[in-house]
Amino acid sequence: MTTPKLIFEYNTKNTEHVPNENAEVDLPNDLKRKELSIPDVNEVDVIRHFTELSKKNYGVDNGFYPLGSCTMKYNPKINEDVARFHGFANLHPQSPLLNVQGSLQLMYELEQMLCEITGMDVFSLQPSAGAHGELTACMITRKHFGAKRNKVIIPDSAHGTNPASAAMCGFEIVEVKTNSSGGVDLDELRSKVDSNTALLMLTNPSTLGLFEENIVEINKIMHDAGALTYCDGANMNAMLGITRPGDQGFDMMHLNLHKTFSTPHGGGGPGSGPVGVKKFLEKYLPVPRIVKKDDSYALEFNIQESIGRVRSFFGNFGMHVRAYTYIKSYGKMLKRVSQIAVLNANYIMRSLENHYQLPYNKTCAHECVFSGGSFAKYGIHTMDIAKRLLDYGFHAPTIYFPLIVKEAIMIEPTETEGKAMLDAFINTMKKIAEEAEKNPDLLHNAPVSTPVGRLDGVRAARQPNLRYEPVCRIC
Amino acid sequence: MNYIPITEQDEKEMLSLLGLKSIDELFVNVPAKLERELALDAPLSELEVRKKLHELSDKNKPMKYFRGAGSYWHYVPSAVNHIILRGEFFTAYTPYQPEVSQGTLQAIYEFQTLICALTGMDVANASMYDAASAAAEAMLLARSENEKNEVVIANEINPQYVETLKTYANACGFVISNELSERTSCVFIQQPNYHGSIENLHKFVADAHEKGAIVCVIVGEPTSLAIIEPPGNFDVDIVVGDLQCFGNGLNFGGPTGGFMAVKKNLTKRIPGRLCGLTTDTRGNQGFTLTLQAREQHIRREKATSNICTNQALNALISTVYLSLLGKTGLQNVAARNYKNAHALCKKLEAVGFRLLNTAPFYNEFLMQTPVPIETLNAKLQDNGLLGGLEIDKNKWLLCATEMLDEKDIEKFVDIVKSVR
Repeated sequence: MTTPKLIFEYNTKNTEHVPNENAEVDLPNDLKRKELSIPDVNEVDVIRHFTELSKKNYGVDNGFYPLGSCTMKYNPKINEDVARFHGFANLHPQSPLLNVQGSLQLMYELEQMLCEITGMDVFSLQPSAGAHGELTACMITRKHFGAKRNKVIIPDSAHGTNPASAAMCGFEIVEVKTNSSGGVDLDELRSKVDSNTALLMLTNPSTLGLFEENIVEINKIMHDAGALTYCDGANMNAMLGITRPGDQGFDMMHLNLHKTFSTPHGGGGPGSGPVGVKKFLEKYLPVPRIVKKDDSYALEFNIQESIGRVRSFFGNFGMHVRAYTYIKSYGKMLKRVSQIAVLNANYIMRSLENHYQLPYNKTCAHECVFSGGSFAKYGIHTMDIAKRLLDYGFHAPTIYFPLIVKEAIMIEPTETEGKAMLDAFINTMKKIAEEAEKNPDLLHNAPVSTPVGRLDGVRAARQPNLRYEPVCRIC
Repeated sequence: MNYIPITEQDEKEMLSLLGLKSIDELFVNVPAKLERELALDAPLSELEVRKKLHELSDKNKPMKYFRGAGSYWHYVPSAVNHIILRGEFFTAYTPYQPEVSQGTLQAIYEFQTLICALTGMDVANASMYDAASAAAEAMLLARSENEKNEVVIANEINPQYVETLKTYANACGFVISNELSERTSCVFIQQPNYHGSIENLHKFVADAHEKGAIVCVIVGEPTSLAIIEPPGNFDVDIVVGDLQCFGNGLNFGGPTGGFMAVKKNLTKRIPGRLCGLTTDTRGNQGFTLTLQAREQHIRREKATSNICTNQALNALISTVYLSLLGKTGLQNVAARNYKNAHALCKKLEAVGFRLLNTAPFYNEFLMQTPVPIETLNAKLQDNGLLGGLEIDKNKWLLCATEMLDEKDIEKFVDIVKSVR
């Protein structure tokens, strides 16, 4: 049995990153710390430790990462260099306005560009991630209606964050079903909307990877009932320069800068989830807002009807720098991003449709959703297919989501993959389908080529071991 | 500039497989189509975009900072950046496939352990957005535990944290009260507080617990944890704070990252990701995300929080930072902050400034100034130094970290004397 070596198991001579400080700190004894169980490890060991860990990881830089709904596109290296420029990286957020004009200009211009891209009137860059943006929108909805309206309608295909965000603001969640062609069931929607409905939260294109063909009508149904509508912009990578949520009729939306606009996913963040709204909701946006006066920029803190602040300072500013850089790089050619993202997804879908069950057989947007359900007769589940892909050097797609597709396999190639990579993936998927039939144990036992095999999730949950304790390691 | 490897020939072949003549045919059924070009600039090459960003960066004026107030100027060892920029960490996402994410997962496990060690708590999660939103999540956690909705916020908490708590309170149905009572769900206190003072938490915690309230400590400046008694030793229930101090730099306020640590009895109510050690099919030990039945992707509207993407890379930065500094390095950083701040304070006292902190302070302190703060800060700014934050008339919140040396402090005091 192998056990991973933890940083706490090193004990080498400390590297002097800061000057040695021998003098005693004259704090009163009852406030002074008595022990601190953090090891001293020399820099050489630290570097080797984390380099070793990195070798057990897989990122977009390693290869194809078709994780649906997550838009795992290539993260340009220039973004990292510019975000580290002295003027950005070493700027204190409590600096006077005079000292931060470059940052404010960048944020202001980014807001303007996001407005143009989405058709929204105003943006706030403050929310830290997509779910934080959703929460901000639910807070705006709460502020707009007060206690008068209490229902939020969410399709059954939605990300879990949608209902979770609405529930945090005390809304009752009403689910609306997806129809047989993968869109919102309009009759059901009409039957569920009433004068108590505050908001519709809808992902477009949906998590089935399909453009909502009735989106204009859907927004109208909601508006006729006096409700607001919100676009979960997680799938914006299908729409750049093609169609805009603002023009589709949405009142609010969020963007995931770490998806559509190439800021790194970082193993699970930092994200950035700017929220855009139509003019009539501007007054509710979080403070501070950036305002332009003549040729200089300022921060507005006192806005009577604002929901208030949703975090410290101005959001994940470093991510704003990266997204700004990305948008400036493509400029009006951003449309090409979505065109190729959609082309790549359709190419995969049509190349695999005879090998995997396709629940919604129509042109897809930037991702396609298969079902692994047809392999049940060989005792094979989607999980097995995903794990086998790891053996072939690919990251797995998103699996078991959306929840409305049995054994879902959700593939999002993004525009940053070439045809050779797509073909290699397609051929591997075909090979796995064949293995599932002829030699299912190859899938059951997968992965065999990874640093560890399948992990025992039940044990992890029943006997939680959530931190290192020298004397009581799991046996 | 673009990052699209598909060639025109590829595009033709792919469209042909789809039975299409043009790429536009993929979008025929899309409603509300934009019938014009996006009104954005022409694309830029890497060289041009770099120049453009340089121009913006050059409009900013970084200084030597004698100011904290929620963001602290600390040294970040070079090795931190080299590690986190490894693409295997940098370009991965949430470790949904643990077999190819052991690097991220082990780093999270080490992060959880480090946060527990520093705070003296039992269980830490894999990170939050920042300290302010982590405090708001603590408020939600407390309500889910004791089903009460009154919150008491102690004095001298960073105003941005208070504002964030109020935003969440208004939207999520909490009442902010000034008085501790049986109805109190959660009480917040900041340590060191917004004025830099280190409080003895014993009485505060005992009073709150007597009323059945949950105590949440917001760590004001986490490097202080290297030398002051950790909140866990005062029997508090929840500890939150910001990762900015642990290697994340200033970055005009973000991205930083928040942390949350709780007592064991609150484990199943903690928001966000948790990584645990388990075994694999080959009999080896390995890591995986665990206790996911708390989370939004499983529980949807019944989840403990809506948080999904957190600040994993910032947590990795902090893990590498804390590993590089180690116990000795961290204690050196903290001692140097303490000594610099106290040296600065003494020198200012000698020229007629009055210290307003009544309790011991760490690296930040509040001074009564004999002259208008505006005048002081203007003169300092002319010399490349950012003076303290004016938090009230003639009340100057100053900070001195390890980045300053004796010469900087000397220069600061000389300038102040010249204004005096």
